[in-house]
Amino acid sequence: MNGWMGRIVTVDLGSGRQEELPVSDEMRRRYLGGRGLGVRLYSDLCPQPPDPLAPENAILFMAGPLTGTVMTSGRFQVVSRSPLTGTICDSSSGGSFGAALKSAGLDGLVIRGRAERPVYLVVSHGQVEMRDAAGIWGLDTQRTQKALQERAGAKASVACIGPAGENRVLFAAILNDRDRAAGRGGLGAVMGAKNLKAVVAAGDRATAIADPVGYKEMSLRLDRAVDKNPVTGKSLQVLGTSVLVNIVNAHGMFPTENFRRGVFNDAEGISGEKIAESLLQRQSACYKCPIGCGRTTRTRNKSGEGPEYETVWAFGAHLGVSDLSAIAEANYACNELGLDTITMGSTIGCAMELCECGAWDAGLRWGDAGRLTGWVEDTAYVRGVGADLALGSKRLAAKHGRPELAMQVKGMEIPAYDPRGAQGMALAYATSSRGGCHMRAYMIMPEILGHPVFLDRFSTAGKPEIVALFQDIAAVVDSLVLCRFLQFAVGISTLSEMLRTVTGLDIGDEELLRVGRRINTLERLYNLRAGFTRADDTLPPRFRNEEFQTGSSRHRVVRLEEMLDRYYAVRGWDPQGRPTAATLAELGLQDGRRG
Amino acid sequence: MAAAVEIRFYALLRRRLERRRLAVDGDGLSVLDLLSLAEEQAGRPFLDELLDRGRGLLSGTMILVNGENIRLKQGLATRVHSGDVVDLFSPAGGG
Repeated sequence: MNGWMGRIVTVDLGSGRQEELPVSDEMRRRYLGGRGLGVRLYSDLCPQPPDPLAPENAILFMAGPLTGTVMTSGRFQVVSRSPLTGTICDSSSGGSFGAALKSAGLDGLVIRGRAERPVYLVVSHGQVEMRDAAGIWGLDTQRTQKALQERAGAKASVACIGPAGENRVLFAAILNDRDRAAGRGGLGAVMGAKNLKAVVAAGDRATAIADPVGYKEMSLRLDRAVDKNPVTGKSLQVLGTSVLVNIVNAHGMFPTENFRRGVFNDAEGISGEKIAESLLQRQSACYKCPIGCGRTTRTRNKSGEGPEYETVWAFGAHLGVSDLSAIAEANYACNELGLDTITMGSTIGCAMELCECGAWDAGLRWGDAGRLTGWVEDTAYVRGVGADLALGSKRLAAKHGRPELAMQVKGMEIPAYDPRGAQGMALAYATSSRGGCHMRAYMIMPEILGHPVFLDRFSTAGKPEIVALFQDIAAVVDSLVLCRFLQFAVGISTLSEMLRTVTGLDIGDEELLRVGRRINTLERLYNLRAGFTRADDTLPPRFRNEEFQTGSSRHRVVRLEEMLDRYYAVRGWDPQGRPTAATLAELGLQDGRRG
Repeated sequence: MAAAVEIRFYALLRRRLERRRLAVDGDGLSVLDLLSLAEEQAGRPFLDELLDRGRGLLSGTMILVNGENIRLKQGLATRVHSGDVVDLFSPAGGG
């Protein structure tokens, strides 16, 4: 088989039983791999949404047809039901674990049940072995990876949880290849609840290429396109993702002190430019990536990876903190303990506002840089104020009687772009299948950065169509599985050419977009079964009612009601956000409502 | 120079020019003319980071006048006035 390995294995941690999960050619054509195939398989395995932390829940580690081939193809997707949001969730991570999983002979690994005692899984030669994790349970992610690589060899790639996942913190991350993270949605807690510390993958199987000559030509063109593009060929390399700090701040939509202002006066001090001249040791890159957006940094006390843009914001402007070293060290702590930096920082910001308004007497105050790492540690170990912070912002704010102070959608915290400054991004947050996330449709590209075309960020006209299109393209990229940054340099036709030359599957651009639409609709069906309705496709009242008084996004509010009906219509969903029978028939999802 | 137009450089432009800002006596000029004047004054070329060979905006270039993208105004023909702040970002991305 070209592209895919043609093998997905299911392991039950309770019984130790493993079996191959058959996947038809038709299913691969319709869902590709990664997120798409993962969500399809998950929907079939868990048709009735289970308690995310119960043994009945499944968690899938998925590679894609392009994994291990073209540039940026070391990534993988983790799919499950999120304990943070209750939605279907997939979380993406870079590094090389995806390529290692494939070279170990699998397109995907499905894990069910709960082990009696802590275990880890080793994947090689297409087989999965369950081993005792007693000696590594309790270790942080860095020590865990080191210990398992000592056993399995330096070429092995390890995806693991830290103490936060073991303690089932609702936004625990999965870390691999040192500091790459499947961060969002708390899937690390799903592993922890299964007593699963890590998955180790190693092997030497190569992905077969259908059209080697065409593949080589396409790869050369891809190299040139990425090199020539000023974002992938220059900006991301030199300044990393935090180049966005000054850009978003200049647009008056850099969320400050829990989204109460859109301009952070100390933005320069935490910018990508500042990181480059202070903490930066060297850039770092994932598997076969010529971009190298990662930052290896050093503070007065420690060294590590990051901070990336979202983290700079979450521990910086969002908390009124301008101490770059403190931000970086909180980032290192999140990586070591296995926590999503966005939800962690956002939840602390929510806590600070709760304390300020007297709803919670816990002593968290704006700008308190010295306590950031302590709060992260307390959260991972669910102790002290960390016991409350470990709830995430939605549950925390509700517990203290001020639910409106949680800046979240469907329980997932909104990242570093205030939606009042970009109407399309607002719609994307509201309709994302996993909650308040920028990755489902990165509308910042056209609305702020001007890629591939520039759109008026304050207009709602045409945004439903473009959000749906961006969501579909994102689903394709997540299913192939590649890095989103390639989208700065290439379009959908290059993606379909990649798929054709690697797998031999020549479905064309239009059908590829239909795959994306099918995946988004399937995720919608799952969320409807999980109890979500139109009422959940919304944003916190702050964004609908409160205006900034300063900055270039002042006097603006989110106008979701101008876009939501049209978005549903574009999607082929009814006014309540339910896919119509005609849409299901067109996408071949007639069985989608089963269960 | 308080009444001049203030140009602020970011990201790659800042690294190339080794400066954060420049005050230009550009009252009433178009953004294109302002930038040409700024390039002369800065002593180093930088317009190639922002404009194509036909002197149009490169895809992804962000030029803000008082926080508003000139693509939403009159593009490079947008007039600037004393006291205005012009932010210059060459194409960039992240996320």
